[in-house]
Amino acid sequence: MLGLLKRDFLLMVSSKQMLIFLLFYIPFFILISESFIPEIFYFMIIVFYTYMMSIMSFSFDVTGKSKYIMNSLPISRGELILYKYLSTFVYFAASIVYAGVYLWIIDSLKLVSVDYFNLKQIANALPTVMIFISILYPVYFRFEPKIAQIIQMVVLMVFFTIIGNISFTGDKGILKYISLLQWKQFMVIAIVMYILSFILSNQLYKKRDI
Amino acid sequence: MDYILEVKNLRKEFKNFTLDNISFNLEPGYIMGFIGPNGAGKSTTIKLIMNLLNKDGGEIKIFGKDHIMYEKEVKDRIGFVYDENYYYEDLTINSMKNIVASFYSKWDDKKFNQYIKEFDLNPKAKIKTLSKGMKMKFSLAIALSHNADLIIMDEPTSGLDPVFRREILDILYSVIQDDRKSIFFSTHITTDLEKIADYITFVNKGKIVFSQAKDDILQNYAIVKGGLDMLDKDIRKAFIGLRETSVGFEGLTDNVNKIRNLFGDKVLIEKASLEDIMVYMVRG
Repeated sequence: MLGLLKRDFLLMVSSKQMLIFLLFYIPFFILISESFIPEIFYFMIIVFYTYMMSIMSFSFDVTGKSKYIMNSLPISRGELILYKYLSTFVYFAASIVYAGVYLWIIDSLKLVSVDYFNLKQIANALPTVMIFISILYPVYFRFEPKIAQIIQMVVLMVFFTIIGNISFTGDKGILKYISLLQWKQFMVIAIVMYILSFILSNQLYKKRDI
Repeated sequence: MDYILEVKNLRKEFKNFTLDNISFNLEPGYIMGFIGPNGAGKSTTIKLIMNLLNKDGGEIKIFGKDHIMYEKEVKDRIGFVYDENYYYEDLTINSMKNIVASFYSKWDDKKFNQYIKEFDLNPKAKIKTLSKGMKMKFSLAIALSHNADLIIMDEPTSGLDPVFRREILDILYSVIQDDRKSIFFSTHITTDLEKIADYITFVNKGKIVFSQAKDDILQNYAIVKGGLDMLDKDIRKAFIGLRETSVGFEGLTDNVNKIRNLFGDKVLIEKASLEDIMVYMVRG
C-alpha cells in the first residue's frame, strides 16, 4: 500500500494539470469567492484538494489505461479498494498541511485576511469529504468513466449549491438547518456511508471486467 | 503431470462474441504460441488468465493453484507483456521500475539494470519519449526482472521491425533454458513461433481448433498443389481449406497419405507453415 501511495504522489507531481491545480486553485478561489464567509475558504480548499487527489489517484488504477498494469500486479482487487478508501485520509492530511501553509503565506503577506488553521473547519471538512467519496467511488467502480464523470458533475453542482446557500446566513439559508445537525451526527452519517460505500465498491469492482 | 498453466472449459460471454470452452495445458520448460485471427479470442483468454475479466465458466489454474483464490501469490510469479504500453507515460523508466518493483517479492534490481543496459534504454528517459520497440523492451525488462516462472505475452512483437523481433525472440529463448519457466505467447506473426514455440494453441471464433506440439502440427499438415481437373466434389472434401485459381488449386490437408494415395505424383506436396494452416483453417 505504501508503494501505491508513493506512486500516487509521484504521478501527481509529474502531472502538469495537477501542479497547476495545486498552485492556482487557492488564489483563484479567493478571487471568485469574495462574498463568502472567510472561514469557509479553508474548509472549501481542504475538501476540494482531497477530492481532486482522490479522483486523480482513481484514474491511475481504475479508470485510466494503466488499470491493466495495476490489475496484473500482485495486488488483489480487494486490497486496491481498501487502499482507495484509506488513502483519502492521507490526502486529507496532506491537504490540511498544504492549504494551511499556502493560506498562512497569503495571510502573512497581508494580501487577504484568511483563516489558515481552523479546527472547526477541518472537523467539518472530514465528514464532507467522506460523504463525497462515499457517493463517487461506487459510481466510478460501477460505470464507465464518461457516465461517472457526468454523475460527478451533478454531485459537484449540488455541493456548490449547498455551499452557496451556506454563505447566505439569513433565515432562508441552509446554514440554519445544518446547524440543527450536530457535528457528531454528521460524522456518524459520514462513517456509516463510508463503510457501506466501501462494501458496495468491493462487490462492484470484484465483478467488474477491467 | 504438473502443469504451469491449466485452462479448462473456459467460457466468457459478450454481446457479440463468446469464448467457448477453451482448454489447454502448458508444462514447465516450454513455450506455447497462441495463434488466431483478429477477434478470435486471444486477448480475451489472456485477460481471463490475468483475472482482468471475470469468467462465466471453467477453471484456470496457474502453478497448480486457482488463479483467483491465490491471485496475489500467482501474480507474484507471472511476468506480463501486453500489446500496448499501459505504463504511466509521464514517468521515467526508473520511477516506473521503482513503483512496479515494490509489488514483487523477488524483484531483482541487478537483473533489471542488466536488461536496461542490454536494451540500450536510458533509465532517466520518460516513457512517453520511447519508441514502440523501446517500450516493448522496457515491458520485457520488467517482466523478466522478478524471477517470474510464467511469462504471459499478448502480441509482444506486433508492429516491431524484424531486428527488434529477433532480439526479443532470442531473449525468450534464453529465458526458457531454465526448465522451470514457461512462456505463453500470443501473436499474429506465426514465423516467430516457428522459431521458438514448442506448442501451438490455435483459437478461432472463440473456439479451440487445436492445441498440439508444434512439430506434430507441422508434420501432420501439408499444402497440396495441382491442376483444377483433379478436383471433384469428394476430393474437395479431403481438404481443410482450398484455394482455386484459373491455373490450378492449392489446398491444406491433414491427411497427407490419403492425398498421396489419391493423386500419386500428379500433385505437389509441400510442408505447410503455421501461417498456411491458420489462413486455410480460418478461410476454409
